[in-house]
Amino acid sequence: MKRYLVLIIIITVFGSCKKWLDVQPQSQVSQDDLFSTEDGFKEAINGLYSRCAQKDLYGKELLGGFPDVLAQNYTIASDDPVHYKETAIYNYKDADFISRKDSAWRGLYNVIANANLILEKVDKQQAILTPVSYALVKGEALAMRAYCHFDVLRLFAAVDAGGKGIPYVTAFSKDVPKMYKTGEALDLMLKDLQAAKTLLATADPIVSAGYKVGYPIPDSSTEQNGDLFVQERRHRLNYYAVCGQLARVYLYKGDKANALSNALEVINAHKFPWTRQSDFLNPDDTKKDRILYKELLFAFYIPNTTEELRRLFRNSDRGLYISIQEGRNLYETGGVGGEDFRYKQWLSEQTVSSTNYLRLEKYARDPDNNLHPQMAPAMRLSEMYYIAAECTFDTDPAKAWDYFNTVRLNRGIGATLNDPSKTMFLQELVKEARKELYGEGQIFYMYKRLNMPITGQNGSTVPASSAIMVLPFPDDEIAYGNR
Amino acid sequence: MVKIHAGYTGGGLALALLIQLGSLTAIGKAQGPAIDRSVYYVQNNTQDQEPLKNHLAHMERRYNIRINYVGNTVKGIYADAPPAKDPATRLIDYLNKFLLPLGLEAEQVGQDQYILYKKSGTKPADHPITPADLDIAPVNVAAISAATTAAVAGELQQFAVSGQVTEESGVPLPGVTVVVKGTTNGVKTNENGKYRLNNVPPNGTLVFSYIGYKTQEVKIGNRTAIDVKLLTEVQSMKDFVVNGYQQLKKESYTGSAITITGEELKRFNPQNILQSIQASDPSFRLVENNIAGANPNQLPNVNVRGTTAIPTGDASQLSRTQLANVTNLPLFILDGYQVSIETIFDLDFNRVEMVTLLKDAAATAIYGSRASNGVVVIQTRAPREGELELYYNYELNVTTPDLTAYNVLDATQKLEYERLAGLYTSNGVNSADELEKMYYAKKKNVLSGINTYWLSQPVATDFGHKHSVSLQGGSSTMRYGIDARYQTNNGVMKGSGRDRYSLSNTLSYQPKSQKLLFRNQFTLSQVSAKASPYGNFDQYVNMNPYYPIRDSAGRLIREIDKWNYRGFNDKGEDAGLTATVLNPLYDATTGSFNKSSYLEFIDAFSTQYTPTDALRFNATVSLTKRKTTEDVFASPLSNYYYFYSGDALKDRGKYTYTSQDDMQVDGYATITYNKALQNTHFLNFSLGMNVQATKTDIKSFSAIGFTNDRFTNITFARKYEDNTAPAGDIEEQRLIGGFLSFNYSYQNRFLMDGTVRVDGSSKFGTGSRMAPFWSYGIGWNLHKEKFLQHTAISQLRLKATTGLTGSVSFPAYLSNTTYQYYTGSWYSTGVGAVFTAYGNPQLKWQRTNNYDVSMELGLFNDRVYISPRYYYKLTRDLLADINVPTSTGFDKYKANLGEMVNKGYEVYMRANVWRTRNWSANINVNLVHNTNVITKISDALKSYNDQVDKQQDAKADLATAPLLRYKEGQSLNTIYAVRSLGIDPENGKEIYLNQDGTRTYDYKVKNTVPVGDQTPDIDGYFGGSLIYKSLMLQVNFYGKVGGDIYNQTLVDRIENANPWYNVDSRALALRWKQPGDHALYKDITDKSLTRTSSRFVQRENRLELKSVYLSYDAPATLYKKLKMKNLRFALTMNDLFYWSTVKLERGIQYPFARSFTFSLSTRF
Repeated sequence: MKRYLVLIIIITVFGSCKKWLDVQPQSQVSQDDLFSTEDGFKEAINGLYSRCAQKDLYGKELLGGFPDVLAQNYTIASDDPVHYKETAIYNYKDADFISRKDSAWRGLYNVIANANLILEKVDKQQAILTPVSYALVKGEALAMRAYCHFDVLRLFAAVDAGGKGIPYVTAFSKDVPKMYKTGEALDLMLKDLQAAKTLLATADPIVSAGYKVGYPIPDSSTEQNGDLFVQERRHRLNYYAVCGQLARVYLYKGDKANALSNALEVINAHKFPWTRQSDFLNPDDTKKDRILYKELLFAFYIPNTTEELRRLFRNSDRGLYISIQEGRNLYETGGVGGEDFRYKQWLSEQTVSSTNYLRLEKYARDPDNNLHPQMAPAMRLSEMYYIAAECTFDTDPAKAWDYFNTVRLNRGIGATLNDPSKTMFLQELVKEARKELYGEGQIFYMYKRLNMPITGQNGSTVPASSAIMVLPFPDDEIAYGNR
Repeated sequence: MVKIHAGYTGGGLALALLIQLGSLTAIGKAQGPAIDRSVYYVQNNTQDQEPLKNHLAHMERRYNIRINYVGNTVKGIYADAPPAKDPATRLIDYLNKFLLPLGLEAEQVGQDQYILYKKSGTKPADHPITPADLDIAPVNVAAISAATTAAVAGELQQFAVSGQVTEESGVPLPGVTVVVKGTTNGVKTNENGKYRLNNVPPNGTLVFSYIGYKTQEVKIGNRTAIDVKLLTEVQSMKDFVVNGYQQLKKESYTGSAITITGEELKRFNPQNILQSIQASDPSFRLVENNIAGANPNQLPNVNVRGTTAIPTGDASQLSRTQLANVTNLPLFILDGYQVSIETIFDLDFNRVEMVTLLKDAAATAIYGSRASNGVVVIQTRAPREGELELYYNYELNVTTPDLTAYNVLDATQKLEYERLAGLYTSNGVNSADELEKMYYAKKKNVLSGINTYWLSQPVATDFGHKHSVSLQGGSSTMRYGIDARYQTNNGVMKGSGRDRYSLSNTLSYQPKSQKLLFRNQFTLSQVSAKASPYGNFDQYVNMNPYYPIRDSAGRLIREIDKWNYRGFNDKGEDAGLTATVLNPLYDATTGSFNKSSYLEFIDAFSTQYTPTDALRFNATVSLTKRKTTEDVFASPLSNYYYFYSGDALKDRGKYTYTSQDDMQVDGYATITYNKALQNTHFLNFSLGMNVQATKTDIKSFSAIGFTNDRFTNITFARKYEDNTAPAGDIEEQRLIGGFLSFNYSYQNRFLMDGTVRVDGSSKFGTGSRMAPFWSYGIGWNLHKEKFLQHTAISQLRLKATTGLTGSVSFPAYLSNTTYQYYTGSWYSTGVGAVFTAYGNPQLKWQRTNNYDVSMELGLFNDRVYISPRYYYKLTRDLLADINVPTSTGFDKYKANLGEMVNKGYEVYMRANVWRTRNWSANINVNLVHNTNVITKISDALKSYNDQVDKQQDAKADLATAPLLRYKEGQSLNTIYAVRSLGIDPENGKEIYLNQDGTRTYDYKVKNTVPVGDQTPDIDGYFGGSLIYKSLMLQVNFYGKVGGDIYNQTLVDRIENANPWYNVDSRALALRWKQPGDHALYKDITDKSLTRTSSRFVQRENRLELKSVYLSYDAPATLYKKLKMKNLRFALTMNDLFYWSTVKLERGIQYPFARSFTFSLSTRF
């Protein structure tokens, strides 16, 4: 008996020892602590978006930085004040370029790791979450994992399914993540996105009929109803954003049927109205909608990088800008683009030391009184039309042109196109998308996916090649991951 | 087992030596032969007789005793075997009965220890000693009838015993109680320490007791004169090793421990206890700090037997003093509980009774995961039983700056240097005429006799005082002690200093049964530190000697000079610019301050229960609470804000407030069991456990915008500092551990020690919460063996130990993945949290495998003592950054990887070279050599090296210093630089060697290779002491042979010296001036930056006179008159002299100092 007593004492002492030694940090939050409440999960989800909104990712660099430079969107001053000149000529050994693309890689995988941590905990802690929170948390974490992987893939992987892919990371671990070929990685993304779509289909407030998208004040939108966590669904990966992302990924994979059905799901939901001309063209800065806010399926909330963006785009000719000639060429102001609202609203003619140039106004802010918050567009309604158009052209060119013309009409281009040539169609589509997505970091991916030559400045073209379109992995990744 | 011998001596030669032997008790020396009552007759027939030596050896075995003698004593003496001892007879009687007829006599010097002498010629003291001779002071403990000779029983005959009681140093001790054991028959010694006691039975025992001294029992035997030297309790403690949990007999201990008394430490440097420990054992090393010099507020960085940690962290936060930030401190244990190095640094020296330095695994393993860097165990004085006594100690401390390392140009030379450097040839702004005008304006200053010695401006000789009072006393059941101390210590930079106040109280209660003991001790300390308002010393070194300090009206000149140059302005345009030289002395006139203070409260309560002699239970719990605040105010009028204009004006001035709360609870409980079996097997078991919890809470914030410096309170600030948030950090850690330790010796010949400990720490990852540690040691006391007895070798012990210890010197939450919030930038749907770093749940302690072999050799009754040791420490699982592919979401994590070896030897020597009745001279030498080798490092550290290369190219302040890199096979002391072949005599340019051995003029940081090693071939302390009666002189030197040093002065102050500012005198004399010059330093007109190259690596030999100590004990006639019980004057001089083969500026931001301490101590 005595022996057992001793044993029991030893077990209790050591058992409680372990517990006693488990000190939870107070000025930092330990993961166990964070994921012990529903609020913790919500904060972790918000953390994913906050991380994305930093300047190395969608807050600046992936928004209007090097991907658009690679797409030859900007004119760069000869003394290269923001160090993009080498990037524009595809010198991938340039230190500034390496630092930017490596930061993007590191940042995206950092978001992925954060998402993985949430996913690791969310099923274990399902009991403490309400069903809606559970669906939103898990769905958005899955969608975010796919979203970030997709951008890594679009930057660093080969286009063809069997080509060099990326590590697809599904666990928070120090072990070297496994590499997947492009096709495999795309399938993994689709799996995550489909799962997210299922979870969000019922839980996401945006799908309810009463949910109205619009500007916070004048449109009596319902985007700010409810608990803070379920507000502003378009600032997070909502159900339609997941559909849009699925459309993107299916199209990248070449599965046009599925791409179309997802794009159409967004379009036919009629959740996202075209922006009123009166808002887009409003001469009053405070009432002007510069980014076509209502058409955004998904965008990042980035008030913290306003100053960064101002320095990048609006710092006289010390940042990224476009020469008058190139701007006019881009928007075809001599032809169909004569009345293109976008040219007038997004580019303004400026003079510095008697040289004229066009300044990008998309992200300009009046300090306090804008119609909508500072956003980084991530997915637009127009892109859904483009995807729908591309997916239907093979079967129904007229229908495809129809999608195309719809967008143009809403941008002030009345002239419609209807040409049966696929080459012609794709050229027009890319040209149009470039106008629409200028300064949003998306057009480079389109050139890459379609393997189309990049229209350079001064009439030059850069032939598509994997040498320039597949960015090299970071050195650290190669060295420590044996890639 | 090494003791730092105090060097005291006196008349009783054998006795003093025996104390060194480490015997448990010492007794008086017999001075007269005893009265024989029965005698063994010496037989003349030697045929059947055996040599006496054999008989003695036989007796040693038979009675398990040890008999010491010198070979000559017994040579040629033959005797019959004595009859066996009657159990009732005492051994000493038995021995003397046997030996006296042989012309020898024995004396007992300890339990089971005897010494043999040739019988001295002294006549038996059978004539009565008259009281007049001795000036006896009788006491009333018993009626003394001097004439009584009545036999009490049988043969017993009572007689009188007399003698003198002295301190070990020979100073007579008055007031010592001498009692016949078990009776009330006793006297007290008179003021000359003499006593006479009548009615003493010959088989009785005399007990000598006195407060503060170890009680001695002396068997009277047949003597009538017994002189005794009393050991202070502290000295007798040196026979034991106190490791914080147990007290072990040194003779049977295999661990490597150094025991130093507080008194000995004080003799070295009464101002700095850590310095003193270093002098006693150089393997306890204070990392040299050439930047902070003698700043009284600079806490030293300490390592024991080499560094066992790799600095971790970001290469982007590199600083020149990289290594200074390594946390590699030993563990400090004060009276059983862990304290910070700062607590020890500010401890009242007078309270320190004993310091034990534990070094190898056998000694430290009971501290398990905290043991790798060594353990310093400090015991404070416990109050002693007796009448109320008052101790008083006064110290006057004088510090004077030591500027001998600085050798700057005077006014004439400096101006000439400027001219040669081309300052007045062209500056891109002014015309030749204007430049010439400037030159002659300065020339005018020089010629008018201005030659300011700026270096002396911010420094001064300053005084500090210390008063320390200690009150103690009590009965055998209740004892109390109060210590109070007031101490100021002003540094040599004006206005800097550290003031310490402390009060401590000890109360102990021991019920009559003597089985229980309660003790409570609390200490309250207040320490205030302030930095000098004069700022950093280098500002003054830089000032040109031809600048006047004050204008003709005696006012400080604020704007002293302007230099025009060409450069890029704020807008990035190339333009003519002006640099203004401001008077650094001006800052001292503003209201800026930088001060910090802390209040510390420590309470320790312990209970001891001793049911039997063999068994002891002990439990101690302590609580430490410390509150530190730091206030730094930069006045709006200070030079820093001189150039502020417009809107910025209102934001001048800055106040930073930091507070830190520390709390620690530390407790342990032990059970100790001691047993001697048949006087052959000695066992000592200890079982214990300890628990510790600490918490640190730091908060800080800054405010700016002060109107003037009369209103320096933070309420006068305009706002918080822009773009900053209040900072705060809470760190909490817990530790629990249990140990079992045993010590065994067989006949005191074969020794064995072993310890097993299990530790759990909250810092370890969840995957490895518990860690095992162990040690094992064996030893052999060869001097106990027959073949070494009665030879010149009085002590010879061989020991070998091994074990595994750990260290966890890393931040609290590394093993935990933690989150941080984007508190400053909410997302539209709420605040976001992201993880900060990958927390490695597998993270564990660093493990060190220790191996240690040592020998202790004592010759000629330990008059010469030599102890060499060799150790080898392999530290594994060094905490290092591991790089991972960034697709994991992070780029590195902390893991246990990397190995480092520290090996070395230590030699301790001391010798009593000369000893007469009044004189004694001792020398002592302690030398060490430690080699550090990194044997394995991670990839992350390799990439860290690349980062260092990059940083060295990018940052100007790092470009010229040798930064540490990590390479397998190299050490942490390696100097890395580009190899240089010196200056090309043809053009004054430096020639570098590429990695492939080709020559180049181009500096490339990629060519950086190891070019030197700072490890000295050998270094250590040596010195000696000389004692004449009550005067004592002790001198200590530090010496170092070999070891490279990167002479930063040559780089910063000669080659990269900006000619606008003052430079080292060699800049003018030794630089290349024309083709053909074989110069050490490059072209005087070459203003390009000199980078880190092997040209500046120099080999250093150094000698420092670290301390001179002189003390004098006033004669009794003097202190008696003053109603004192003793009186001692002492003078200590520190850092008097420094000589090195390398001419280097020392004390960059704070100069070094010489210090003189006069002290007076007395007892009432």
